[in-house]
Amino acid sequence: MEPGSGRDDSDKACPFALVENVRGARRLAAVSLEAARLRLWPGQKVTDAVAVVPDLLTAEAEPEKDAEALSALVDWCVRFSPAVAADAPDGLFLDVGGVAHLFGGEAEMLADFQGRLAANGLPFRCTIADTPGAAWALAHYGADGTIAPPAGQGELIAPLPPAALRLDPDAAAQIERLGLRRIGQLMELPRAPLARRFGQATLDRLDQALGRTKEALTFRRPPTPWVARLAFFEPISAPEDLARVAHDVTAKLCERLEREGQGARKFEVCFHRVDGKALPVAVGLSLPGRDAARVAKLFAPKLETVDPGFGIDVVTIAAFEVEPVSGRQVKLDARKDAAVEDGLAPLVDRLANRLGEDRVWRAVPVESHVPELSVGRAPALNDKPCDQSSWDPEAPRPVRLFRRPEPVEDVLALTPDDPPRQFRWRGRLHRVSRAEGPERLGEEWWKREIEEVSAAHVRDYYRVEDADGQRFWLFRAGLYDPREPAKWWLHGLFG
Amino acid sequence: MTRYAELQAASNFSFLRGASHPGELVFGADALGMEAIGICDRNSLAGVVRAWSEMQRRREAGSTIRALTGCRLDFEDGTPSLLVYPSDREAYGRLTRLLTLGQRRAEKGECHLRWTDFLDHAQGQLALVVPPDRLDAKFEADLRRISGELPDVWLAAARRYGARDLQRLARLQGLAQAHGAPMVAVNDVLYHGPERRALQDVLTCIREGCTIHEAGLRLQANAERHLKSPEEMARLFARFPGAVERSVEIAGRIGFDLSQLRYEYPDEPVPPGKTAIQHLHDLAWEGAAWRFPAGVPERERKTIEHELHLIEKLDFPNYFLTVHDIVRWAREQGILCQGRGSAANSLVCFCLGITAVDPTKPGQDLLFSRFISETRGEPPDIDVDFEHERREEVMQYVYDRYGRDRAAIVATVIHYRPRMAIRQVGKALGLTEDITAALANTVWGSYGDGVPDAHIRQTGLDPDAPEIRRATALAQELLGFPRHLSQHVGGYVLTKRRLDETVPIGNAAMPDRTFIEWDKDDIDALGLMKVDVLALGMLTALKKSFDLLGIADVAEIPQEEPGVYEMLSKADSVGVFQVESRAQMSMLPRMRPSTFYDLVIEVAIVRPGPIQGDMVHPYLRRREGKEQVEYPSPAPEHGRADELESILKKTLGVPLFQEQAMRIAIEAAKFSDSEADGLRRSMATFRHYGSVGEYGVKFVEGMVARGYDPAFAQRCFQQIEGFGSYGFPESHAISFALLVYASAWVKWKRPDVFCVALLNSQPMGFYQPAQLVRDAREHGVEVRPPDVLASEWDCALEEPGRGLGPERDPLRVVRLGFRQIKGFKKEDADLIVQARQAGAATLQEIALASGVNRRALELLAEADAFASLGLSRRDALWAVKGLSTDIRAQKEAPLLARQSLKEAQVMLPFMSAPQEVAEDYRTTSLSLKAHPMTFFREELARIGAVPCAALAGMRDRRRVSAGGIVLVRQRPGTAKGVVFLTLEDETGIANVVVWRDVFEANRRTVMGASFLVVHGQLQKEGEVVHLVAERFTDLSPRLGAMRDDEGPAPQVRSNVTGRLIRSRDFH
Repeated sequence: MEPGSGRDDSDKACPFALVENVRGARRLAAVSLEAARLRLWPGQKVTDAVAVVPDLLTAEAEPEKDAEALSALVDWCVRFSPAVAADAPDGLFLDVGGVAHLFGGEAEMLADFQGRLAANGLPFRCTIADTPGAAWALAHYGADGTIAPPAGQGELIAPLPPAALRLDPDAAAQIERLGLRRIGQLMELPRAPLARRFGQATLDRLDQALGRTKEALTFRRPPTPWVARLAFFEPISAPEDLARVAHDVTAKLCERLEREGQGARKFEVCFHRVDGKALPVAVGLSLPGRDAARVAKLFAPKLETVDPGFGIDVVTIAAFEVEPVSGRQVKLDARKDAAVEDGLAPLVDRLANRLGEDRVWRAVPVESHVPELSVGRAPALNDKPCDQSSWDPEAPRPVRLFRRPEPVEDVLALTPDDPPRQFRWRGRLHRVSRAEGPERLGEEWWKREIEEVSAAHVRDYYRVEDADGQRFWLFRAGLYDPREPAKWWLHGLFG
Repeated sequence: MTRYAELQAASNFSFLRGASHPGELVFGADALGMEAIGICDRNSLAGVVRAWSEMQRRREAGSTIRALTGCRLDFEDGTPSLLVYPSDREAYGRLTRLLTLGQRRAEKGECHLRWTDFLDHAQGQLALVVPPDRLDAKFEADLRRISGELPDVWLAAARRYGARDLQRLARLQGLAQAHGAPMVAVNDVLYHGPERRALQDVLTCIREGCTIHEAGLRLQANAERHLKSPEEMARLFARFPGAVERSVEIAGRIGFDLSQLRYEYPDEPVPPGKTAIQHLHDLAWEGAAWRFPAGVPERERKTIEHELHLIEKLDFPNYFLTVHDIVRWAREQGILCQGRGSAANSLVCFCLGITAVDPTKPGQDLLFSRFISETRGEPPDIDVDFEHERREEVMQYVYDRYGRDRAAIVATVIHYRPRMAIRQVGKALGLTEDITAALANTVWGSYGDGVPDAHIRQTGLDPDAPEIRRATALAQELLGFPRHLSQHVGGYVLTKRRLDETVPIGNAAMPDRTFIEWDKDDIDALGLMKVDVLALGMLTALKKSFDLLGIADVAEIPQEEPGVYEMLSKADSVGVFQVESRAQMSMLPRMRPSTFYDLVIEVAIVRPGPIQGDMVHPYLRRREGKEQVEYPSPAPEHGRADELESILKKTLGVPLFQEQAMRIAIEAAKFSDSEADGLRRSMATFRHYGSVGEYGVKFVEGMVARGYDPAFAQRCFQQIEGFGSYGFPESHAISFALLVYASAWVKWKRPDVFCVALLNSQPMGFYQPAQLVRDAREHGVEVRPPDVLASEWDCALEEPGRGLGPERDPLRVVRLGFRQIKGFKKEDADLIVQARQAGAATLQEIALASGVNRRALELLAEADAFASLGLSRRDALWAVKGLSTDIRAQKEAPLLARQSLKEAQVMLPFMSAPQEVAEDYRTTSLSLKAHPMTFFREELARIGAVPCAALAGMRDRRRVSAGGIVLVRQRPGTAKGVVFLTLEDETGIANVVVWRDVFEANRRTVMGASFLVVHGQLQKEGEVVHLVAERFTDLSPRLGAMRDDEGPAPQVRSNVTGRLIRSRDFH
């Protein structure tokens, strides 16, 4: 089985290619069927390809993502046979020995398989043969959907080119150069001279395809994840039962987590209904945890959404973002802040799970010259106490920064950029006794329309103190321009 | 009035920091009324000459601005940065030595300095301490230390409009007073005007490798780091009296100016008791006697005397001695060389053997006194081309002779070009990779004027989208910015005193190579001496030809051989220097050159300059007598009517050469000498500044004012602009024409020799070996394939064959060498030749005796080089693969080896003729067995395609089809989107023209096809035949079929492109 190289989904007419860096040169890594039809090929230089097909759409090749997708497909295939082996980058082997009868025979199984793949929109080619080698050869070079009769693969692969044997590309090229263009010709050659010239590996590949030697495939076994499962004799459906089993299955997993010194940031309980439908419910923690009671409490409000239908016969739980956590501090002489942390975390978790995850946060510095953008939101509880980068003490910012600057009037200031002597804010006149500034901040030109960008678009900020000792953060918008009265704003208050 | 000198300005030679050219800063400072400006780039003096040159220009315009030479020293040991200005020539020398020290101990492009290094070179330096962002106790300690150890220290204070500026300045003033380092106002300039802030931010992003959205506090908070007027500076520092005035004081103490570096030529060794000019005299007259064996004619004698007088007066004798010495040494080593350049137009150079151009020859009229004016005061310019394979020897000789401390390669400033600019700006603005790639791909070629909207639209992007527009606008600004320094191909600067006391020297990327921080324009501007040691492939090929012919020098070639001109007039010029390109070939039958000077014009006319200036067609019409030769003249009251005739007579009234353009500027547009010189310089530096436009107005107005036709004036200037990017003066054209004649003569006289020499000098030239071999065969040369029993590494001549030369003398057979086999190594070739000489005569014997590895033997087998042993390709490969992997072991145990040969016989399938040819192409890029197209002739005939050779005999405007392998694709910038294709079949080549609309409609086919049938209309002009394409049939996949066996081929899903050869694409 081999998914094809087509990855175009939305626009069929547009040639598309994935691009990678090969020793400093940008080359195509894979091309869509459309692009292949325009004679682009993997390995071609991008500049050459674009010279030929200027409207070629490209995207960066992501081999890791491809591998992930392939392994997901491998996992999916387990429904057909437990023995699945990935054949990177774009193929997989399925050992159907002994399982085909479950589907009513090889032909029926293949049809079912093809149907399901097609339903998922995956281009593919698949064949069945006695040996992985023959199946590979037929899938890559033979007719799609071929089912080789038992012990009949030799005849079927004989007309295929030697490259179909999964040979080392150099050897395959040289074999073809000798005029040996079909596997059949190779089969007829005396074995010793062939091995002498092209190595035992070449003979092995031939023998593997023909079933003369066995080929060991590495079947994928999913790594033991952090999962637990409870099955019931009688389907359950009462809400309190759901809550109970959720707690039980959580406890089962948490016990294991505790035993192995791990904690998780995310738990997902899945209720499997008798009709085959699965209903997942997930909760998140701000710190890795394994306190079953605490986790179960977080699940409780969410169970209302679970519709048990005709009943639930299995419940599973999986933990994610698992990482080691030290043993729990419970002693009286534990350090105080640890206790605070302990006390804070459940509160934050309860708030977050009730109000929504994005509602509980902590303010952190963001690198920006624009005052209102220099504050960001971070998770309420962070492993790292606070980021090293903090606000610059040389550029003081008010304790209270207004969301919107408020206009001020009656400003008296010497041009072009002396601090104001007085200003009126919310109806009250303030006389400035001390002032510092201006701190000139330019606009973020890249966010403006090009025509609107101007070096005159600045804010001149002043820190001023009035006669009462109140401190304000004022700014004048725009560079001094004698033709226009200056506009002044109050943007924040210091203590 | 306030006086102020900006002492802290970073130019764009502080790479990815400064956002203005040095010239812009000087210009801006002058416009604001500053007294002086100091360009201080980081640990570098790379930009100071450009600033200084701009100062010269401002001064010519009446300004008194000074461009101060200094630099900013950044230390790696935590010492605060210093702005350093040498006060005199000696201090300057110490500064350049310091920078050399720092650069030599670091990687290319970096400079590692410590405080103690500076102390060793501190004498005479004026130093300004640059305070760090945070004024902590460490800085105070550093300042105390620095001011304690240096006599002249100031504290540079800038107002950047930070929140606590005044507090900071007050603190700085306190520190300044406490430590005896008076505070001086600077503005820490990064660009000349605030409008450059966006570009500076983008540069910051490029430097930091982030996008503008991520850059945050790494960007400057505002646009205040531009040049500010003295009044503004006075206002900003009003609370700190004296700070602004102090800048002028410091500037006043700087007594050094780059003009002090002039004319520090190395003294050449001369025989005892003689001066340099006396020695040059002796050499020149000695050479004159050699050049004029019948006695030096009176006119020549006078010219030599005049030139020597001028050389003495301008103090250039050492320069001529230097060039003479290098050329003499190369001659002694048997290295072919040839000089060119303005000073090379001298009879002295001719006599010294530097050039082979006799400038007194009638009609050439190139007396060099016209080009070296006494007033211009610039050094003479001589470039010397050497055989490309042996240039390295010459370079080593220069190092040996002058020592590394007096000779170094000049830099080439690598500038941002459109592709790179758009790519990096796009990335900095956060555009995705595919969009920037698409934008970059709209730029054809490496030069170009930004990205036209139409091209952007073609890629499916909207040029009006704000992000796209912003990216293209900023990329446009970035164009021409220096990116980094690289070493020049062969320009050497030579100095009298230690070179590192004139300019900093840094490491090149190549080990053991160093180069200076200045490029050749800088060297020119300063009047330093430079010698260009360049490489030219054709000289290598000529040398190889001469060796085979028993000729020592170009001078021995018979002049004005009519057969040579006949050959060239037929465009029979494959392989001939310069005139082998498609454009040249279509010009030759129209030009019908019959004298040497025709070749000079031929070389000069097919250039972007004359083409853009629309000079080509008028010249041809006049030459063919279809148009009256006339000389535009000024209105009678403005001067003699024939003032242009004397300049333009030799080119029939059409200005073709740079010198003519210059003389028109002087004579007709009444440029002063210095204006003409400025024009010439702006042409040379066109790409950096574009100031040529200023002269354009003056030029046209000057001519029109004197009564010239505005259209003519405009055309003249267009041509000058064309020269800007692709200059081609007459002297160069003459030097090149000499090589055109020499190579054409070899080709005419001995096509066998020519073929061997060219093949052995590859890669060079326009054609690939397949075309060179084909051309030789068409000239009657018999060519034999590489063979293990007959070939050496190089191609060689064997016994006389059947072909005859122009004088009925038999041509010899060309045996292709092992070098034709792709991937085969010279060492292996030598081993095989040795084994053969030792008597090895079978595959096994050769394998054993030579000891080459099996891969080498496989390459030979695949290239069909065992044919003379009776082994076919496949049999040979089978046999080679059958040898033990460890041939050396076999060699030591021959008994065992023989045993292993007893194995079952194998019958391998027979290889078909098309397969053989395809394999020939794959392994040697050519086939002597057949042209691939012969296998498709029937198929081509079915489509209606005629053989390419048949096109010449058909009538004009006929509709016809022709097909062949695509050899060359060209899309010249001058041809407005037209694409030229060259097709080849077994009968000849077809020149195809694809007009823009046809190209756009068939772009994929035109750009991608390797086997193409073109349907179109014939266009004939004399002997020039073009096929103007209308439709195409792409047969490329058919080439892949050549590799198939007869009978049904196995289904192969592979990426075979069907390409036999890779076309040479110029796009």
